[in-house]
Amino acid sequence: MLDPAHGGTDPGARGAQGIRESDLVLDLAFQVRRALEAQGFQVLQTRSGNENPSFDDRSTLANAQYGAVFITLHVSSTGLPGTVRVYSMPDSFASVATGGVIGWDHAQAPYVTLSRKFGDAVQGQITQRFKGSPNNSQSATIRQLRTTAAPAIAIELASVSVQDRADLDRMMPGVGDAIARGVAEFRPSYVVPGPAGARP
Amino acid sequence: MSGNWRTWVVVALGIAVLSAAIYFPILRKRVKTTAKITEPSEEQARRELTQAVAPNPSDPVVKVKMFWVSPEDESALAPVTIPLALSKDPVLRAKQVLNTLLAGPVDSDLRTLPPDAALLSFYLLPDGSAVADFSEALATSSPSGIQSEQLAVDSIARTLEANVPQVKRLKILIHGQELDTLAGHVDLTQFFPVDTKGARLGAVSPDMPGNIAVPPVTAANNTTSVPAKR
Repeated sequence: MLDPAHGGTDPGARGAQGIRESDLVLDLAFQVRRALEAQGFQVLQTRSGNENPSFDDRSTLANAQYGAVFITLHVSSTGLPGTVRVYSMPDSFASVATGGVIGWDHAQAPYVTLSRKFGDAVQGQITQRFKGSPNNSQSATIRQLRTTAAPAIAIELASVSVQDRADLDRMMPGVGDAIARGVAEFRPSYVVPGPAGARP
Repeated sequence: MSGNWRTWVVVALGIAVLSAAIYFPILRKRVKTTAKITEPSEEQARRELTQAVAPNPSDPVVKVKMFWVSPEDESALAPVTIPLALSKDPVLRAKQVLNTLLAGPVDSDLRTLPPDAALLSFYLLPDGSAVADFSEALATSSPSGIQSEQLAVDSIARTLEANVPQVKRLKILIHGQELDTLAGHVDLTQFFPVDTKGARLGAVSPDMPGNIAVPPVTAANNTTSVPAKR
């Protein structure tokens, strides 16, 4: 599940020459989708045009999928241009899952460890192509990830502060390819049990 | 005689009208000025609320750790030790360190919070839960992005952790309201752990085990582990 963040009346980060995060991530989603489909993955998007579904609406789409992973795409307003960072929820968020019914607000809690592993796989692939990016994924308490019941990461390109949008456009095919490779690397470790009574 | 009397009346009325024309604008101005003095504007009220806590002369000067952006790595925080007269009362102490954090470091490029943001109030419950209420500028002037928003929140949490040990977890409000996010990304609906001792926000990822199984999640599969929307 690909989530181009923001959209509609929410442009996200804004840079010089009218660069808008909401437009950039839609183009980036197209590149990531193409790379994932080339690897044989089925891809869905939370938005394909200039709409702005709520955080919960986006999570609802993801949570209805069986065995999905969730990637929300962002472009920052700060940071070293040309670098890419991958984020997942902090380990401390997993402690809210103490058994029993898990509320919507803590849907990500059982997946925190998996999400970290997923993030590290994608970050590793990205850092091979985009020098200056960190070696491991980072922790951040991201609203969109909190209500997502799947391995879920946020990917943020730096940044809308570039003088020319073409600098970001040139990054997109490489980011898409690195994400697809990261998803493929993570796939064997994502063991999704079948329905009750079925063999895994 | 009657003609003179009428003339005097007309003159007197003319003088009265002229006096009123001169005096009423002056009177109106005075009333407005008085109203301004007696009824402070919202901005004045907020300024009074956000006045830095004046140090008590008896407060000891201690070395406090403030967390601003690292000069070596713009994606990380670094502690800066500065001498500051700090109250022993944890709420006053928290206000003093947060106001210092808001004032920013010498190098303004390393600040984590926007310069026009202000701390409106700070509450601390007996269980260590703290609520910090900031002005709207914290949300509207913070640069939008996961990294910058997380640095802002982490700088607040880590500065409190280093200087106010009574604070165990922190809730951030914006002008008394709970917002979904700081500037579009970082979640403000939850408490942030402050006294985490290793489970800190932004921790470096440890090595993960190999295969990890998780419960399946589908809309139709309402097992005990399926998130239920409230």
